[in-house]
Amino acid sequence: MRKALVVVTLVSLVAFALQFVFAAVGAFTKPASEGAYALHSVTGMAVIPVLILLTTLFAVLAKAPGRLIGLAILPLGLVVLQALIAMLANASTDTAGASTPFGLAIGGLHALNGIIAVHVVVSVHQAARRLADPTPAGASAVVGEREPA
Amino acid sequence: MTTGSLVVADLVIAVLATAGWLGGGAASAARRRRLALGLAVGALLATVARAVTITALARAGWWFAAEKVLVAAPLSLAGVLVAGPRLLRPRGDIRSAAVPLLFAGYAGSGALLVTVLHGYPVSAGAGLLAVAGVVTATAVSWRALDARPSRGLSRAALVVAVAALLTGTGLAVAPGAAPAVHDHDYREARAVGEPTRRFTLTAGTATVRVGGRDAAAWAFNAQVPGPELTATVGDVLAVTLRNRDIGRGVTLHWHGYDVPNGQDGVPGVTQAAVLPGQEFVYRFRADQAGTYWYHTHAVSDVGVRMGLYGVLVVRPAPVTGVDVTVPVHTLAGRALPTPRTEPVEAGVPVRLRLVNTDSTTHRYALAGTPFRVAAIDGSDLRGPTPLVDTAVLIPAGGRYDLVFTAPATPVALFVDGRAVWSTGAVSTATGGWPSLEPLSYGVAAAVPWARFDKEFTLVLDRGLDLRGLLPRYAHTVNGAADPDIPPQLVRRGDVVRFRIVNRSLVVHPWHLHGHHVLVLSRNGAPATGSPLWLDSFDVRPGDVWEVAFAADNPGVWANHCHNLPHADAGMTLHLMYG
Repeated sequence: MRKALVVVTLVSLVAFALQFVFAAVGAFTKPASEGAYALHSVTGMAVIPVLILLTTLFAVLAKAPGRLIGLAILPLGLVVLQALIAMLANASTDTAGASTPFGLAIGGLHALNGIIAVHVVVSVHQAARRLADPTPAGASAVVGEREPA
Repeated sequence: MTTGSLVVADLVIAVLATAGWLGGGAASAARRRRLALGLAVGALLATVARAVTITALARAGWWFAAEKVLVAAPLSLAGVLVAGPRLLRPRGDIRSAAVPLLFAGYAGSGALLVTVLHGYPVSAGAGLLAVAGVVTATAVSWRALDARPSRGLSRAALVVAVAALLTGTGLAVAPGAAPAVHDHDYREARAVGEPTRRFTLTAGTATVRVGGRDAAAWAFNAQVPGPELTATVGDVLAVTLRNRDIGRGVTLHWHGYDVPNGQDGVPGVTQAAVLPGQEFVYRFRADQAGTYWYHTHAVSDVGVRMGLYGVLVVRPAPVTGVDVTVPVHTLAGRALPTPRTEPVEAGVPVRLRLVNTDSTTHRYALAGTPFRVAAIDGSDLRGPTPLVDTAVLIPAGGRYDLVFTAPATPVALFVDGRAVWSTGAVSTATGGWPSLEPLSYGVAAAVPWARFDKEFTLVLDRGLDLRGLLPRYAHTVNGAADPDIPPQLVRRGDVVRFRIVNRSLVVHPWHLHGHHVLVLSRNGAPATGSPLWLDSFDVRPGDVWEVAFAADNPGVWANHCHNLPHADAGMTLHLMYG
């Protein structure tokens, strides 16, 4: 179960990396349109939440410490917040539908919150690896090179 | 503060309160006493602030506050009652405050999810599901924090969670209102006489030149916009629609033209979509003068965006002076029409027919001359006064006719700051101009009805729609999404008043087929200007519009948001004559 936890956290990490790629796809698609962010939306609102729930479930089943379980579920809150930030940023336009400085400032928080979420997922992954292979701290370099099963 | 910004402020405060409680809970679990207390006090203050925003929203209209009063307030209160006393007893192990603080956070999250995913109207099912979630999350946290609850408490929590989950699910999946009954016996066109104006529109894929580049488009007669159809009042139009290769089908909807139901061009409601190789002939009498447009109503979001639209102008008499149509559209990310400059002699009367064929509002500014708004959505205004340095905001699907007498100096029309039509070089910055308020423009007249036979309220929102094959985050009307929104039933001869409330965070340009509605009031303030007979109007976030119409055109009529992606995502219902 602990190995499964490591695997699912790694998959989450990959999904988060792809999420940044999909954001770039949306930003660079010409002509610009809402549809350009379809991949980003689906990954963010369906794939990632499912992975977070799986991670939490595996953490509970693996009898991980409460701190790790809390850390595993935390990205779910950040993802909900992320969707709300996107909604607010899209809604903060002037009467003719053009973006406003306020809306763009809110939109900036979307990027910052994304960075925070990735850091949390990285911490979860590292904690999961430590849990799967509790080697003393001095041997951490060896742990770092090993592929998770 | 407008109701729209109140809705946003309330949402932001709710998020802050929830984040504060959850953060405080996590901090106390990690024995960070000061951080935990600080976050909890912040959350408490935000919760108190929310009492103010919820009260203000309830005063603006129950629709804006319903679920906040009935679900969020009790949950937040429970959170404060459980977490608050722990804050007043700061001594002892701060870790013991973790569960109460997390409970308050889960209660806040549950309420937030009810607002964002469910909205209006409140349902006991959604409320109970939120309670089940809160109790379960609290129980799980309690166990995870190794501060196991007593047996009795554990059992009580289990019973409450299971009961709430079962009842909530039962209520949520219980069959709601009967789905809309669509009229499939497409009505025959009533006898309109021998056609005097004949047109043929052939829909097909095409490559068109826009902004100096080739773009893939769907076009009528290989041009975007399609041919401009013109007629004089009294003409009988016969328009043959052919589909060459648009696989998903096409139709013609006469936007703003109150044609007989069988000619309205809504696939699956007034006719079947015209598939490749097929044709359909639309016949109707041109008895309304004014500026209108036509577009496909089959896969309308994609179809219109790709270019299946054109202008329909019906004139009361032959043109005198200069008469220009300006259909604004965004094709493949580029703005249409191509800018045009034509010198106009001083003293010549000019009429600019502005059409917005996009899904979002555009801002039009006429620089270099005073002008009047002669008509909106095809209907002449009463006593329009001259305007200077004023912009007009045209909703998706809307039309404004601007008239002026050409001065000796150049004049230019700007759309969102881009010059699209001019008589010479004009370099005026129009960005700072105020926008026209149509509800107080022109001379008032009495409302033609003394009583209303029917009343409807449409509350626009977003919500999770689980009735389809795949769950979707739909644009909803009264908590349901197409095709599950019950139709509005009227009888011929009824005078119908309907109210449109926008609870969501985005603009919804509302469009009723087959009828023009008279604007009665917006946000409680009665319309004081010329009577406004509209077919497309922007209901902004937090707005409450009251409009009325005479049910004088029998049939089944689409009644939808003209931001076509929204219509596609559920915001479509039907008006039916019984």
